[in-house]
Amino acid sequence: MKGRLITRAFLVAAAFVTLFPIYWIVITSFKTQLDIVVNPTYLPWVDFMPTLEGWRWLLTEARGDVIRAITNSLIVSGGSAVIATMLGAAAGYGLTRFQYRWRFWRNEDIAFWFISQRMLPPVAIVLAFLLMFRWLSLLDTQVGLTIAYTGFAIPFTVWIMRDAFAQVPLELEESAGVDGASAAGIFFRISLPLALPGVVGSMLFAFVFAWNEYLFALMLTFQEATTVPLLLASRITSFGTHWDQLSALTLTNLIPAAILGIMLERFLIRNRTEGSLK
Amino acid sequence: MLALSIFPLVFSLGLTFTNVNLFRRVPLRFVGLENWARIFSDEALLETLVNTVIFVGGGVAIQYSLGLALAVALNRGLREQRLMRVLFLLPMMVSPIAVGFIIGRMVFSEGFGPINDMLGALGLPAVAWVTSPGVAKLTIILVDTWQWTPLMMLLILVGLQGIPGEPIQAARVDGASEWQIFRHIVFPLLLPVSITAILIRALEAFKIIDIIRVVTGGGPGRATESVTAYVYNVGAKQGDLAYAASAAYVLLFVVIGVSFLALYVMRRVQARYE
Repeated sequence: MKGRLITRAFLVAAAFVTLFPIYWIVITSFKTQLDIVVNPTYLPWVDFMPTLEGWRWLLTEARGDVIRAITNSLIVSGGSAVIATMLGAAAGYGLTRFQYRWRFWRNEDIAFWFISQRMLPPVAIVLAFLLMFRWLSLLDTQVGLTIAYTGFAIPFTVWIMRDAFAQVPLELEESAGVDGASAAGIFFRISLPLALPGVVGSMLFAFVFAWNEYLFALMLTFQEATTVPLLLASRITSFGTHWDQLSALTLTNLIPAAILGIMLERFLIRNRTEGSLK
Repeated sequence: MLALSIFPLVFSLGLTFTNVNLFRRVPLRFVGLENWARIFSDEALLETLVNTVIFVGGGVAIQYSLGLALAVALNRGLREQRLMRVLFLLPMMVSPIAVGFIIGRMVFSEGFGPINDMLGALGLPAVAWVTSPGVAKLTIILVDTWQWTPLMMLLILVGLQGIPGEPIQAARVDGASEWQIFRHIVFPLLLPVSITAILIRALEAFKIIDIIRVVTGGGPGRATESVTAYVYNVGAKQGDLAYAASAAYVLLFVVIGVSFLALYVMRRVQARYE
């Protein structure tokens, strides 16, 4: 099995490249400021003495801020991921199953219009958001940030779900229709379950996008609704960077997202549609 | 959706015809096409535009190839593949701020970074990751690739799940090699998903700014400054919002042009297989 061997060698190499920087974040969270900026050191107890300073800061002084930021991040990211995926699924399904016409607009043009929403640099639109949100009293609220992130994620979820539904065989839907299933029944019981990997991919994408977004969180929140990226950025000051605290916070921030990844991974497996067609 | 998309667009467009400045208290005045005229003689904008195209072209090509290879490798039924799928997703979940600082700045540091240290241990010369104009561009692409290859992998992995098994089994019965199956069955069926993945990633990559600001600060000189970083500097640092909006619009036109071209080319490739 030469192919398997090459695959494994490739995966091991990729795993090293993927994990080394994360390992670096882990050991940095246990280093003193001096250990960090003098020489690279690799192994705790061997070439540097680990310290719990960064983690102590995280669990004592910063505890309230950390808990609030993570709660906000979870609500905003989870909310926008679910809403954006639902709307994306609805729009994606429509774009693959029906032909729309409005003047010279066709499905392709509608899809392109969706994705074109992500083309302007964020710095160019953030000011408009600031004005709009102030006018709507949405500044510094979880709802406001959720709306903004949902809007940003929808263009992508539409495209991801459009591809996912395009791969669901039409024959299955038609035979369900012949058997007397309603349009809603077909969508929820046939198409959506078969497009589940797409739903999961779209949710993960939208969640991670909101989870780590910085610029809009900075401009649209200031106290109550601040998210983890803002707390991370606060560790980088004009007097220097608190590397240990930054690293500890980064890992704390990574854990919920990783747990979500572990929970959703099982739904990324192949649907066995072959048998159902016969 | 309309409010979220149209208002900022119109607002920014309106700005380009004015003299709005954050820091200078000048009476609001409509200056017509003055900002747009400035664009055409702005060499810094041109240079940042070229840089951006290099980052997007180079980065997305590498990320797509690696993401495709990883997704296919993790869809072959290896015993450890479930663990590895999660593992390979991790980089995109790490906050870009941390990626910029801890990975971009520390790991690639020329003075106290482990990469140059390990190269030294192997008897290799140190690399000027951030001080050489050419290498600095590569560093930006490498950091971007570390973070975003997982997204490509995720989207292609999703696409792989929707590919029917029958044609693959039939080809296998007929004695086709794994490579032939990939080349003539799997890859063509992945084209729609590939188009989406590449477009999504390219659109985000066009707006690259965080990594650059943290790792190289746009330097040396302007060697790694992107258009978005330029827009940010002009708008937020120098306060010239009106001109920044104009430059942002130039980027928008370039991105729309490139997207149309890319979609056209990819659809042609797709049509060849159908």
